Amino acid sequence: MRHQGGMIQRLLRALDGPGRWLPGLLLGAGILALPSLGFAAEGTQAGPTEYRDIPGIGSRNLVWIIAQLHLLLAGFVLGVPIFAWLCEVVGWKGGEKRYDKLAKEFTKLLTSAYATTALFGGILLFLLIAFYPKLMNYLTDIFFPSFIFYCILFLLETATLYLYWYGWDAMQDGNKKTFHIFLGFLLNFFAFFIMIVPNSWATFQASPVVIAEGTDLQRAWAATWNPTWWPVNIHRLIANVVLGGYICGAYAGIRYLSARNAEERDHYDWMGYVGNFIGVFGLLPLPFAGYWLMREIYQYNQQMGITLMGGFLSWLFILQAMLIGVLFLGSNYYFWLGITHRIPGSEMKYRKPIMTMLIILLLCLGVWMTPHSLVASLEEARKMGGTHHPLLGVFGVMSAKMTVANLMILVTFMSFIMYWRAGKQETATWAKVARSVMGGVLVLAGIAVIVLGVWGYFVPAIIRINYFSTSQVLIVLFVMLTITPLTALLLKSAKTTTEMVWGRMPPRAGYALVLNSVMVILLMTLMGYARSSSRVHWHIYGVMRDSSQYAFSPALGYAAAFMALNTFLFCMLVAFIFWVATMGDKAKGGHTSDKAELPHGIPAMAGGAPDRDRA
Amino acid sequence: MSEVAMLQLIGLLVVCTGISILLFIRAQFARVIGFVAIVLGLFSLVALAVPQMASLPPAEEKFDIATVKTPTDMAAIGQKIFFSKGQCALCHSIGPSESARCPDLKGIGAKLSREFIFESLTQPQAYIYLDYRHEGPPKEYPARMPYINKNPIGLSKNEILSVIAFLQQMSGEPISVSPSELEVPGQSPAAPVKAAVEVPVTVAHAR
Repeated sequence: MRHQGGMIQRLLRALDGPGRWLPGLLLGAGILALPSLGFAAEGTQAGPTEYRDIPGIGSRNLVWIIAQLHLLLAGFVLGVPIFAWLCEVVGWKGGEKRYDKLAKEFTKLLTSAYATTALFGGILLFLLIAFYPKLMNYLTDIFFPSFIFYCILFLLETATLYLYWYGWDAMQDGNKKTFHIFLGFLLNFFAFFIMIVPNSWATFQASPVVIAEGTDLQRAWAATWNPTWWPVNIHRLIANVVLGGYICGAYAGIRYLSARNAEERDHYDWMGYVGNFIGVFGLLPLPFAGYWLMREIYQYNQQMGITLMGGFLSWLFILQAMLIGVLFLGSNYYFWLGITHRIPGSEMKYRKPIMTMLIILLLCLGVWMTPHSLVASLEEARKMGGTHHPLLGVFGVMSAKMTVANLMILVTFMSFIMYWRAGKQETATWAKVARSVMGGVLVLAGIAVIVLGVWGYFVPAIIRINYFSTSQVLIVLFVMLTITPLTALLLKSAKTTTEMVWGRMPPRAGYALVLNSVMVILLMTLMGYARSSSRVHWHIYGVMRDSSQYAFSPALGYAAAFMALNTFLFCMLVAFIFWVATMGDKAKGGHTSDKAELPHGIPAMAGGAPDRDRA
Repeated sequence: MSEVAMLQLIGLLVVCTGISILLFIRAQFARVIGFVAIVLGLFSLVALAVPQMASLPPAEEKFDIATVKTPTDMAAIGQKIFFSKGQCALCHSIGPSESARCPDLKGIGAKLSREFIFESLTQPQAYIYLDYRHEGPPKEYPARMPYINKNPIGLSKNEILSVIAFLQQMSGEPISVSPSELEVPGQSPAAPVKAAVEVPVTVAHAR
C-alpha cells in the first residue's frame, strides 16, 4: 500500500516536471481508444459477424482514410528507391558526387517514410479484420500462400534497406560501391514484388478469377493472375515514380522558399529541377498505361467499363482531365520558368515558342474537359436538339480526348527538349540535318495524331479503339524514342553558350512544384475512388455482394471532400516525416556542403558541362 | 441545409482560410499550407459543382405472385428491371441512339421468338456470329453480352420472363409469357423454357 502511494506521489511529481504533458497524451490516447470497446461488444451476437461499424465517422470512411494514406505512402516509398538508385548509378558512372549526395538525401527520407507506411498498413489490416470479417476470411482462404510470400518479401526488403542506408558511407569505394549499387537494385527488385502482391488482392476484387479445384497454391495463383493485375501493376509502377518525383520536387520547392543562403537556394533549386524532371519523365507514358488498363477492364466486363466511363462516374473523368491538365501546365510552367530565369538573356528568345505551347496546351485542356453530355434544363436541351451541344458536343467523345491527350504529351516533351537544348550550340557537322529530321518528325507526328483523331469520328468504335487510338500512342512513343537519343547525341559535342545559373528562380517556381505534387496526390485519390466504385455494390465483383449499409458509391462531391481531406493529411504526414528526417541536419548546423559539390551553373540530367564538379 | 450545401460551405471556408494565411502570415511553411488549402478547397468546390450522382445498389423488384394477374403486369415489372437491376440500358437502346454500344432493341420482340430471347440472355455465346471483315478465314465474334442469370446481374427466372414480356409489349407484339409460368418460391419449376442455370459463386468467371 505504501509502495503504491509512493508511486502515485512520483506520478504527481512528474506532472509538475518537464514531462507534464505526457499523462495528458496518454489520457487522450485512452479516450480515442474507447470506441474499440464497442467492437468487442458486437462480438457477442449469435452467428458469424459479417460487419462491424464505428459510430460517428463510420467504418467505411475510416477504412477509406487509412487505406488511402497507406497507399499514398506506399507509392512514395516504392517510387523513391527507383530514382534514388538511378541517381546513385548516374553519380557512380559519371563521377558526379552531387548525384550520389542527392540519392543519399532521398534514401534518408525513405527510411522514415518506410516505417510510417508499415504502421499504416498494420492499422489498415486490423481495421479490415475488425470491420469486414467475412470478406477478409474469404480473401484469406483464397490468398493465404501469397500472405506468406508477402511477409518474406517484407523481411528481405527491410534487411536490404537497412544495409543500403546504413552502409552508404562505408561502401563508397571500389568493389564495395559496386555491391552497394547491387543492394539498391535488390531494394527495387523486392519493392516491385511488394507492390504487385497486394495489387493482386485489390485487382481480384474488381476482376475475380475463382477456381474451386486445385491446391491452395494453384487457387491463389489463378486468383492472382486476374485480367487487370498486370495493367494495374504497370500503371502503379509508373505512377509511383511520378508521385515520388513530384513529392521530392515539392520538398525541394519548400526548402527553396525557406532557404537562408545562396548555397541552399542553389542546391534546392537543382533538387527541385530533378524532382520535376523525374515526375514529367514518368507522367509522359502514364496515360498510355491508363489506356491499357481501361481497355482491359472493357475486355473483362463491358458493363464495368461503361459504369466507369459512361455511367455515374463519367463526370469523374472531367475532373481527371482538369487535374492532369493542371499538372501538364504546372510541369511545363516550371520548365519555362527554368529557361527564362536560369539562362540569362533568354527571355525574349523563348517567348514566342513558350506562348505557342501555352496556347496549344490550353486549347487541348479545353477539349479534354468538354463533357460528353451537358447538364441542361429541358428548355435548353430542346433548343440544342438534345443533351449534346451542337458544336462542343463534337469534342466530348473519346476520339477528341485521345487526340488532345497525345498532343499535350507531345508539347510537354518538346518543352523538355527545348529546356535541354537551351543555352547550347550544336557543333556536329550533321547538326543541321538532325534538326531538320527532328522538326519533320514532330510536325508529321502532330498532323498524323490530328488526322487519326478526326478520322476516328467516321469509323466504327472498334476500329477506332483497336487501331486508331493505339496508332496515336505508337506515333507519340516513336517521337520520344527517336528525338531523345538524337538530342543526346547532338548535345554530346555541343558548346555551352550560356551557363545555367541555379538559385535564381522566383518564389512562384516553388509553389508550382507544390501544386504539381498536390495534383498528383489528388489524381491518385480520385482514380482510387473510381477503381473502387467500378465494383458498385460488390466487395468482390460478381462473387461476394456488399450487404452492409455502405453498399453504395457516394456522389462525386462527397467523395471529393474526402479526397481533399486525405490529400491534406498525407501532405502533413510527409511534411512531418521530412521534418523528422532533417532534424539531425539542423542540429549539426544546417546545410554544410562542400562548395565544390554544388551544382553551380550546371543543369541536371538534361546535360550541360558536368566536368566542373567531377569527383 | 443539404449535404452538398454544407460541403460547399466547408470548401469555401477552407479557401478563405488559405487566402487569409497567404495575406497575413509571413512564415513560409504556413504560407505553403495556405496555398495547399486553396487548391484543395477549389478542387472540392469544382467537384461539388458537377452533377451529383450516387451509385445505389439495384432495387429488388418484389414478385408478389398473387398481384401479378395479367401479362401486362409482368411487362410493367420487366420494364423496371430493364432500366435498373438488369442494367440492360447501359448498353442497349430502345430506338436509335448515338451512344448505344449494342443492338437497338426496338422491335426485337417481333423479330425473335421468346425462346431465342431467353437463350440470348442466359447463353449469350450460343449463337455466335462470324466476322468476315478481314482477309482469310472468318473469326469468331464473341458476344459481349453478359450471362444475365449469373452474377454480377443475376436475374431470376421470374425476372427474365418479365423482361421478355416487356420486350414483346414494347414491340407491339402479343405477350406470349403468362403469369402462370412464374415460379412460386419453394415450389418446383414448371417452365416451358429452359430454366436459368444456378451457378455457385465459387465457379470461375471466364477471362
